[in-house]
Amino acid sequence: MKFEAFKAAVMAAAQSEGLTDYELYYVCDEGVSVEAFAHKTKNFTSQTSGGACFRCIVNGKMGYASTEQLSEESARSVVLRAKENAAVLETEEEVFLGEGGKTYAKIERESYPLPTTEKLIETALAGQEATYAADSAVIDGGETGAETFRRSVAICNSRGLDVKSDLSGAFCYIEAVVSDGSEMNNSYEIKVGSFDKLDIPATAAKAVADAKSKLGAGVAPTGSYPVIFAPKAMADLIATFTGIFSAENAQKGFSRLLGKEGEVIAAPCVTLTDDPFYPDAPMPMVFDAEGSPTFTKNIVENGVLKTLLHNLKSAAALDKITTGNAAKNGYDGAVEIRPFTFCLAPGDLTEEQLLAQAGNGVYIDFLGGLHAGANPISGDFSLQSAGFMIENGEKTRAVRSFTVAGNFYDLLKQIAAVASNTELRSMGGVTGFASPAVLVNGLSVAGE
Amino acid sequence: MIARDVCERVLRRAASTGADYAEIFAEYTVNNGIRMITGRVEAVDDTVIAGAGIRVFKGLRSVMASTVDISEAGLLRCAEQAAEALGQGDAVMDIRLRERLFGDVHPVRIAPSSVPNQEKVFVLREADGAARDYDACVKQTRCNLISVDHSILIATSEGLYTQDRQIRTRLAVTAVAEQKGETQTGTVSPGYRMGMEMFEGLVDPTAVGVEAARQAVVMAGAGYCPAGVMPVAIGNGFGGVIFHEACGHSLEASSVAYGVSQFAGKLGQKIANEKVTAIDDGTIPNAWGSINIDDEGTPSRKNVLIEKGVLKTYMIDKMGGRRMKMEPTGSARRESYSYVTTSRMTNTFIAPGDDTEESIIASMEYGLYAKNMGGGSVNPATGEFNFAVNEGYLVRNGKICEPVRGASLVGKGSEVIQKIDMVSAGLELGQGMCGSSSGSVPVNVGQPMIRVSSITVGGR
Repeated sequence: MKFEAFKAAVMAAAQSEGLTDYELYYVCDEGVSVEAFAHKTKNFTSQTSGGACFRCIVNGKMGYASTEQLSEESARSVVLRAKENAAVLETEEEVFLGEGGKTYAKIERESYPLPTTEKLIETALAGQEATYAADSAVIDGGETGAETFRRSVAICNSRGLDVKSDLSGAFCYIEAVVSDGSEMNNSYEIKVGSFDKLDIPATAAKAVADAKSKLGAGVAPTGSYPVIFAPKAMADLIATFTGIFSAENAQKGFSRLLGKEGEVIAAPCVTLTDDPFYPDAPMPMVFDAEGSPTFTKNIVENGVLKTLLHNLKSAAALDKITTGNAAKNGYDGAVEIRPFTFCLAPGDLTEEQLLAQAGNGVYIDFLGGLHAGANPISGDFSLQSAGFMIENGEKTRAVRSFTVAGNFYDLLKQIAAVASNTELRSMGGVTGFASPAVLVNGLSVAGE
Repeated sequence: MIARDVCERVLRRAASTGADYAEIFAEYTVNNGIRMITGRVEAVDDTVIAGAGIRVFKGLRSVMASTVDISEAGLLRCAEQAAEALGQGDAVMDIRLRERLFGDVHPVRIAPSSVPNQEKVFVLREADGAARDYDACVKQTRCNLISVDHSILIATSEGLYTQDRQIRTRLAVTAVAEQKGETQTGTVSPGYRMGMEMFEGLVDPTAVGVEAARQAVVMAGAGYCPAGVMPVAIGNGFGGVIFHEACGHSLEASSVAYGVSQFAGKLGQKIANEKVTAIDDGTIPNAWGSINIDDEGTPSRKNVLIEKGVLKTYMIDKMGGRRMKMEPTGSARRESYSYVTTSRMTNTFIAPGDDTEESIIASMEYGLYAKNMGGGSVNPATGEFNFAVNEGYLVRNGKICEPVRGASLVGKGSEVIQKIDMVSAGLELGQGMCGSSSGSVPVNVGQPMIRVSSITVGGR
């Protein structure tokens, strides 16, 4: 059954059950990917997945049920199950459905044709060859891949909301594995966008150079140092702790930022912006998971907290309006709160100037185990790291297998300077994090 | 789920361009979750996942296509797509499926789908109440009761047609404690491959709530863990995450077959301390990571990975086996039909040794006792791993002293397994969800208490 027919069946079932407040949310993801290994294509994958989530308000509670099977039978089943699930809920918070008739932004972005399967194969193989050509230290083991993605999202409800979005794009990745005969290392590069603008040799060369730079790396000496987080590492750190800016988390006691709007929570050089239309983000969205219009806003401005991220429910609880940040984890999750592209605004220093300001310290360009070594509630982190020592304002010997530890709430205030070299970390889907390199004074490093 | 004759037609279509192997993996899964936050039921998750993935191999090339349309027409379209991506031509493969019953060594008495939501809420309320009553500084709780009813069908061009039903239930309690402005958490999350009978003697929701609260309260009163290189005693149960991350992933064909493992080409060699015997066993009755058959239809089995320090085998899926010229070991797993199967762990643990927990602690002049571990990750190519210590204590002069928080352990797998120099009795298993290229799958990690003679402790 196609979605439109399923939608009609669900709406009819909802009405026959006497429901007055209900919504259907649908996502369909399609993708084609090619992976290459040791000069040859290895895997070809063509995927279609997704499903529909029905939710309804019964006695002031919002019940959910989801399915991947679009059929007459499942249309009726999701309605009945959502009603039943609402009956067990006990939260006192008022719940909402978005209203129809809103005005949405127009995305001004040049679209590009999706690469054909032949082009995907060609790109994946070219990535392989470019990797081997970049350096004699490259060995078998690195995968390159090229993928296309297409995501359709539709939301319709009993309040007149009826919105749709169709987004598509392409990306490729190149992994380089290098060896010096005694040890191996690897590194990845990912490029999103039109393959016509893709510089495969340069991308491969960067992956190879990064992997090579850590061969024979030592361990950083234990101590407290000025630390520079490279753009990707800082973006990863922000991504890990982004939940502290969710109003829902704050209201439930899982963030310390409740009621801190207008207060200084970060150093003056820190401005954090949420941008649903960030230029390089793979999936710009004009509506959020409740159908509210999205817009760009500062969350932290020159160190001062301006707003938390809201959906309809969290905003109403504080007598505010939504920031258009309702989000769902897959088609089936409950509506939560997430940024689109969360960006730390660039400063005006070059990375060289940032290194000079650090003097002697540690430059970290990789953080590992973020899901484990960081506590998003307390803000504490102790993370596997790799990078370089900084001596007299210059990056010197490579270091790895050490940890950097601190607390994210404290770190926001300890940021001494921000560089201008922003890079985007796309997390897949609509969420991304962008950051330049930052200098943080006095973090604990554990190594030898 | 899909009739045998339909599968035969779909497999023939999939193999029509010269594949030497074709496979259908179809599933019908019901996921349920009820979440209670600080005493109130906040959300009910209720999702039906249904679809099929069709794979074809030709030599070392693999093609996978997936679809949510499991009608015959939908499956034939999906098979066509896979066939076209593999090659061209009019190959005919004679495929005759025979149904095979592998039996179920994981009996389920009370299917979670047959239990009303209200009864599940009783379990949550008991755990939540126990956690909040434990201490006044427990400010918030988050309790989840998760059940998965995962029916799979596997049909292959080798003639296999089989089905399995995997039911899992898990209770997860997180307590948040606050002391003097410091917020810390404790989490306990037992789970089994069984139904709601799990709560009839095996898992006590009160005990789970109390333990989560105890961890949170202890950690909220703890100072930061000092940083440095020191001996570490790692507690039993989820402590086994050290082997899972430091070594387990590097023994999967998904890294070994492609040469990106520190243990590639080392079968028969001594790679670990002789105190270390490590096993991956998917056959443990009702264990969280157990499977009757893997997701390629190979029966699960007990694989001794390392015996007294010597590498005995890897964990291998069919494509990995082709590359490595070795037989599959019942280790192929995928989160769902839309992921490409690869080799994964099931229940992986370090076998009991002959040291005692007391002798391990007594042997440490200054070090860390990591009583409860959190998650971690590894890069198999370099062997570098990390994992978090959720509850740690400093050890001085052979005695467990004050609790410390914020510790993590980092190192290189091939080095750390040489340094596991004491292994006690008292094996326990801990439950986790392991994420990798084929998605998130349930696994047990486990061990008795062990000592690592020296490892980098991240702290401050």
